[in-house]
Amino acid sequence: MTVAVHELPDIRRVEQIMGLPVVVDVRDDRGADSAVDDLFDWLRWVDATFSTFKEDSEISRINRGELRREDAHPDVREVLERCDRLREETNGYFDMRAPDGGIDPSGLVKGWAVDRAAAILDCAGLHNYAVSAGGDMRVRGRAVPELAWRVGIQHPLDQQQVAAVVESTDLAIATSGAYARGDHVWNPHSGRAPSGILSVTIVGPELGTADAYATAAFAMGPERAPHWTARLAGYEAMTILADETVFKTGGFPDE
Amino acid sequence: MRKSITVLLSVAALSLPIVDATAATRATTKKIVVSKRFTGSVTSVDRWGNLQVTIVVRKTTTTTGTKKKVTRKITAVSVPTYPNHTDRSIYINQTALPILKSEALRVQSASINMVSGATDTSDAFAQSLQAAILKAKKS
Repeated sequence: MTVAVHELPDIRRVEQIMGLPVVVDVRDDRGADSAVDDLFDWLRWVDATFSTFKEDSEISRINRGELRREDAHPDVREVLERCDRLREETNGYFDMRAPDGGIDPSGLVKGWAVDRAAAILDCAGLHNYAVSAGGDMRVRGRAVPELAWRVGIQHPLDQQQVAAVVESTDLAIATSGAYARGDHVWNPHSGRAPSGILSVTIVGPELGTADAYATAAFAMGPERAPHWTARLAGYEAMTILADETVFKTGGFPDE
Repeated sequence: MRKSITVLLSVAALSLPIVDATAATRATTKKIVVSKRFTGSVTSVDRWGNLQVTIVVRKTTTTTGTKKKVTRKITAVSVPTYPNHTDRSIYINQTALPILKSEALRVQSASINMVSGATDTSDAFAQSLQAAILKAKKS
């Protein structure tokens, strides 16, 4: 039986926020417009509060010495504290301290904001959705009429292809790589972009953590990344090296 | 009595060279297979403790006439020593440490709903998204 496209109970919306295309795809059989409005309002607030490009954001004010960390918004304090913990957990490979001496927590902010965005949809009683910010996403429930969400992991050498397919009804998926924006991840210990590694994909319960782990593992480079990811509790990984070797942790849920 | 015959037979079998059918007319091929265990050095894993890996390597020496070819293959990998000095790393070891699968990069062609990847320029992303949406609608 074929279902006509216009009968599918879904909402797909794309907006450019935090310098990234944010895609929201809701497949519940009920009104989702107001929840999706709330979701985009939330992300705009996050952008206004955390952006290092906006002069009046709290992060910019902290960096100019006009606002003390302890006086910042509770969400800002929460994110900065998590960045500190992640730096320890990743042996310094995830580091929000920018080369100019300021802080730039955007490596965590995006994933953390999408986790909260997913909670907004949960609270509105929606159970079938995907929220993606620049290719890092949370999926939940079904991609109606299908029984789950099927997420392709981009092939790092061929943008038209995927290197793996992950199917899930509840998962966060983050991929860090050098192939799209040029070398935007660098090793904080050497100050250089890692070589010999094409991408790291991390999947698990939370996108903030998955994204930070992916960034850190990518910065570690080809020798350390696969082994480091194999020891993460609750998160699974796929690392693609420049010699086209793929390392997957034992529970990586691809087909 | 029976036992000694068995032994004699197996010794005879071992001493017979394995003959490669294609080369049989010109030279005999002798194959020697040896499996050996190798233990790596103890290495420090970040701050979680030490790790040591043992591998079993199967070495095959094939001699055809005067030509000798040696191939080595790893047949087993194990981790006899691994970090366990904190609660967290004990937990991690129990869940994940020994399992890391390696394979070649491939292309998957299955139908998908979303794509995870490092961010492209937003225009290209939007185009590819549109294409994906169109495909999803057709499927």
